[in-house]
Amino acid sequence: MPDLIQAHERVKDFEWAPSYAEKHDRYPTKYRIPRKTKDPFRTLIRDYCTMEQDKDDRQYGALEDVLARSNMPAHAERRWLEVLKIAIPCINFAEVGAMKCTAQLVDTIENAELRQGYMAQMLDEVRHVNQQQYLTRWFAKHAADPDGFAYGTKFRGTDLFGRAARSCFETFFMGDPIECALALQVVGETAYTNAFFVPLTEIAALQGDQASPSVFLSIQSDETRHIANGYSTLAAAVSEPDNHRFLQDDFDRAFWRVHSFADPFLSVTYDYFQTHRTSSYLEKWNEWIAQDWVGSYISKLEPFGLKVPSSYALAQERMPWVGHTAAMVGWGGWPLFFYRFEELREPDFEWMEGKYPGWYDQYGWFWEGFRELTEPGSGNPFNLFPEMPPLCRVCQMPCVFPRLDDNSIRILEHEGRRHAFCSAPCELFFHQDPGRYLGYKTFWELWHGHGLDEYIVKCGLLRADGKTLIGQPHNSDDPRMMWTLEHIKALDHEIRDPLQNPDSIYLA
Amino acid sequence: MTYTTPGGAPAKAPRDHLYITPRKRRLSEYEAVTCYTQPGPDAFDIEGWFTLGPGPEHRTAWRKESTRLAHPHWWDFRDPAQQWQRTYVRMQAEQERSIERATEDAASAGAFADVDAAWLQDVIAGHYRIWSFFEYALFRAFAVASREALSDTLGNVLCFQGFDHMRHAQAAVLYLMSLEESVEGFLDQGAKERWLDDPAYQPMRALAERLMLSTDDWGELAVAVNLVVAPILSEMSMSQLVRRGGPHRGDSVTPFIVSTTERDRRRNLAYTEELVRMVTTESVEAAAANRDVIAGWIDDWTPPVLEAARALRPAFEQARVDVVSFDGALAAALQAQREVVEALGLSPVAVARSIGGGPRG
Repeated sequence: MPDLIQAHERVKDFEWAPSYAEKHDRYPTKYRIPRKTKDPFRTLIRDYCTMEQDKDDRQYGALEDVLARSNMPAHAERRWLEVLKIAIPCINFAEVGAMKCTAQLVDTIENAELRQGYMAQMLDEVRHVNQQQYLTRWFAKHAADPDGFAYGTKFRGTDLFGRAARSCFETFFMGDPIECALALQVVGETAYTNAFFVPLTEIAALQGDQASPSVFLSIQSDETRHIANGYSTLAAAVSEPDNHRFLQDDFDRAFWRVHSFADPFLSVTYDYFQTHRTSSYLEKWNEWIAQDWVGSYISKLEPFGLKVPSSYALAQERMPWVGHTAAMVGWGGWPLFFYRFEELREPDFEWMEGKYPGWYDQYGWFWEGFRELTEPGSGNPFNLFPEMPPLCRVCQMPCVFPRLDDNSIRILEHEGRRHAFCSAPCELFFHQDPGRYLGYKTFWELWHGHGLDEYIVKCGLLRADGKTLIGQPHNSDDPRMMWTLEHIKALDHEIRDPLQNPDSIYLA
Repeated sequence: MTYTTPGGAPAKAPRDHLYITPRKRRLSEYEAVTCYTQPGPDAFDIEGWFTLGPGPEHRTAWRKESTRLAHPHWWDFRDPAQQWQRTYVRMQAEQERSIERATEDAASAGAFADVDAAWLQDVIAGHYRIWSFFEYALFRAFAVASREALSDTLGNVLCFQGFDHMRHAQAAVLYLMSLEESVEGFLDQGAKERWLDDPAYQPMRALAERLMLSTDDWGELAVAVNLVVAPILSEMSMSQLVRRGGPHRGDSVTPFIVSTTERDRRRNLAYTEELVRMVTTESVEAAAANRDVIAGWIDDWTPPVLEAARALRPAFEQARVDVVSFDGALAAALQAQREVVEALGLSPVAVARSIGGGPRG
């Protein structure tokens, strides 16, 4: 067996200084990256393939064998499975973005050792895309209510939160490739894969879902290597003093762009779709983001000139509330979505108040109101909300954070258009380069003036009978409880962009 | 779940990824886990992109101008090998294990003692190891192509091909390290210097650098490498010289390693043929223009590839392999390439000229 270290030394020697063609910047970067940096994993393809094949065999073996035969999804909590219908397609685009990011790094970073680490990561990301699609297909085959799984990847394209996810994860590969690497590897993978995958495995298992932990623990085992890639990239960037003048700004932007979507979304995912309850997302956030990432990882880099993101304190301040406020938009606008929203019950109320003291005073009225509107024809859920909030021009999230009564929304006119921003950091990013955020319409701009029923038909949010909505405000299979297009028509509800409504409370 | 709304007929719930149109009657596993994972406004993603690149360009995540080929729906592409990550990694793990075993077995059996010492020195430590730098350049080129390709099914075949080339390059390094352990006096040295300076390899290096640094069109890269470089240069350099020549100099292991790269080449040729067929089929509006673009690429890449191949004459002479003549090998490679290209309905001028004939009717 060849010596691994020696083999790696020789593999590093593949680079040479070209003399017949000149490199042009396919992915221009303002950073200077030294040629001497390290891939601590010394990834050789021979070992990599064997390792990944073993992991694949274990994970797919579990799905194909005992979990399928025992009809696991039939025993899992319906409430939990519903959120996977949107969560998996969202995270799937993060994997696509990660693959594209590492491909850019192969071209950008003049270092054979890191290039090979990135190559392995590229294939890992393809792996994760395939694993997650396999999982949604598996759920489509086995879940009691498969509609959202069968069409999740398609519906992500038009879903209000799916669009926010795309906006967030585009930062992994749109822009300076080193800034993208910061967003992907230093923020997305080092900070947030722990906050996402670790609670997911714990919570999913508690809800009777053994399939998702099998898949996501297998994914997380690759992330260890990616975190090392991120550390290598970051160490290379901070080692050049010239980089320091823009590194912190880019890092700040990378952090906030991931936080502004991921934290409200994950908070809703974990806090509102658990039935058998365990930790809150806030607890997990404090453990993995505050203590582990900021307290341990980032603080060690401070001597080298990298500081905790300037917006971190604001993020931490918002954390107790952002999930609860985002949840109101989901539940209040449930007919817009392709997954089902179940009411909260008394044990949920108690858990929320215990984990988030003051929750009932802020949100209790909303959930008590929602309970009254689950039966078809019982009323318009949009009326639970004073008015659907504008969407942030930068991150696509609703401008309601941290709370309705303490909203940090800001609105401005730019080149004849009115724009809303959810926070000071998002507004700041817009001012830095507005053209990066002006190439599209928000969800509300797209559908402004459409009847709710018209939107549902155009987006295909109906079941195979052509009448029943895929999304429902409950998880009952009782036919009498199923909302149909006729019920929606009877609401006579028009989708309106609050920024085009002169009477909007948000413009007051 | 079968559900019934009051007064309605029972409707069967969907049990598969029904947003994908299968190529055959049923959705394959490959299609189910691959198709439409890369979003785009031509797929299901209204309005396209939320975060553009920095100004002034403000590029979009993917760009139609990333290739000169045109197609209304790039997600229609299917890899004929139906590879997704699991099947691909399994295949490459098997290939790598087979190489490792063949090398170990040869070392244990003392089979390397049967290999002609000059062959080991000139061809294995020389030509074969020099070739690994060419493979490395292809890895880098295909990484960029996989970033820019306009659908997931295309991005994945290009990503897998990039991985193939890195595998080939690393396999050479590991194999030579095994030879150092098994063959007295054998050393992996001097290849990089020859890659940089030996006149026989400068056309090849120039070609590698052009592919790696100056070829931004992912469609062009696939066509250039899989329809021109591989059938001519890889065929000459590896298949004819090393795989065919090796057994006659007592070498059974290196030809085996090369045969695993040929398996990859066949797969990559097959997807490129599929790509060409997809964009030149009659129902595609730009079919004729696409055909001209592809033929133009082949015309463009054939001269430097031929130059790199012809520069290998000294390597063939040094290898002293009676069973393979340089001229015969080149003629056979060119003929085989011509057949592949013509079977796709393409008539590039350079291919005809390279073997001394005009385009066939």
